[in-house]
Amino acid sequence: MTHTLHRRGNAESLSEDYVILMIQAIGHNEEGHREKVKQFLRIALRHNAINIGSVSMGGMIDKAEEVIANVDKIGHAVFGNQEDVTAVLKELKEADLGLSVVVSGIYEKVDECLEKAGLKHHTGNFSLGVWGKTEKLPEEEVLEITTMCGHALIAPNLVKEMAKEIKAGTKTPENAAKLLAPQCACGVFNTSRAAKLLKAMADK
Amino acid sequence: MKIDPELCIACEACLPYCPMAAISMKDDIATIDEDECVDCNVCLKSGVCPVDAFVFEPAPWPRSLRTTFSDPRTEHKETKIAGRGTEEMKTNEVTGRFHRGWVGMGCEFGRPGIGTRFRDVDKVAQVLAKHGVEFEAKNPVTFLMEDTKTGKIREDVLNEKVLSGIIECIYPIEKFEEIMNALKEVSKEIDTVFSCEVINRADPDGSYPLRKLMDKLGISYRINGKQNVGLGKPAADV
Repeated sequence: MTHTLHRRGNAESLSEDYVILMIQAIGHNEEGHREKVKQFLRIALRHNAINIGSVSMGGMIDKAEEVIANVDKIGHAVFGNQEDVTAVLKELKEADLGLSVVVSGIYEKVDECLEKAGLKHHTGNFSLGVWGKTEKLPEEEVLEITTMCGHALIAPNLVKEMAKEIKAGTKTPENAAKLLAPQCACGVFNTSRAAKLLKAMADK
Repeated sequence: MKIDPELCIACEACLPYCPMAAISMKDDIATIDEDECVDCNVCLKSGVCPVDAFVFEPAPWPRSLRTTFSDPRTEHKETKIAGRGTEEMKTNEVTGRFHRGWVGMGCEFGRPGIGTRFRDVDKVAQVLAKHGVEFEAKNPVTFLMEDTKTGKIREDVLNEKVLSGIIECIYPIEKFEEIMNALKEVSKEIDTVFSCEVINRADPDGSYPLRKLMDKLGISYRINGKQNVGLGKPAADV
């Protein structure tokens, strides 16, 4: 599952995009894992999570308690800056829940957060980009939005439709981003960043 | 997935929701190209249809693979993990799956947003097998292999289309350059795309040996990625 690895964009845009996930290791630390993932999501909400979710529930920042109540093996939370990521990591270190924690984002910026939180990276996952028949890919501006759902459940045509509606004045960028978000089953879609990217598409 | 023609009111609202762009209007009715449809259930679960015209009935083998590989809310019976892959590096500090001196690699076919037939996955898996990689036993694609020594995927599933499927494997870091070259060549022969990833355990000083090697070989990687921060317990000796 590499659902938060291949997010695309320039450094400025990606510097507003971080995902923290907590996951149990099957066969190793399953006991009490649900309560621990719930605790993680509550910590995330205290530090301005843009979105939270789990595979079973999808992402529903507007229905956070419902997500938390039904979370299972894995929980995700999306953040828009290093300060919030650092604050969450500090709390997770202190809470010592014993489940694995993975942070997605620009390596250098994530490392700065880890250092401030008194943590170190253990294992890294690097994206070598897209190989093969790349001429089949949608436009880069569309990919920057669709790759925020790593399972590719957000249709490129829906992104284009949202940009059209913003241009026509029938939707705001924020409303369009909120309409896209529930398509992402894990809740790793960054609605704040998506609104900015959609606006840029519409302004062209 | 099907659309009930008796219920469809031709509002066209569902058309942009399909990740495979497999819904189109025919004779004033929204219709799904079933060969291109990956049964991801996005159209159905979006709730976009005002008259509930989408009809999904679980398909028999091998079409059943479309949903298990394309809808991350569906758990693979064999791996007990929802989605396409495994825990990979996410739990490495506990499972000890990726040791120092080794490279973990994932090739995620069909991603982003193109979809893949298993025949393309098969082509690449067979090339990787020739170079001696060790396929991840718990990965759903590995379950489809007739023989993990050859990487050959069973014949009856080759034409099935899914949103994405991942080959996951490991190999010693000394083989990295050779495998990258082989991957580059075989990627010219496929009719889809794959997102490529590599995994590496950090050294005690915090550096990644693989990152140094990629810099030396001129292999580019994105500025962003994932890092396990080592909080899981019990800790593995890795």
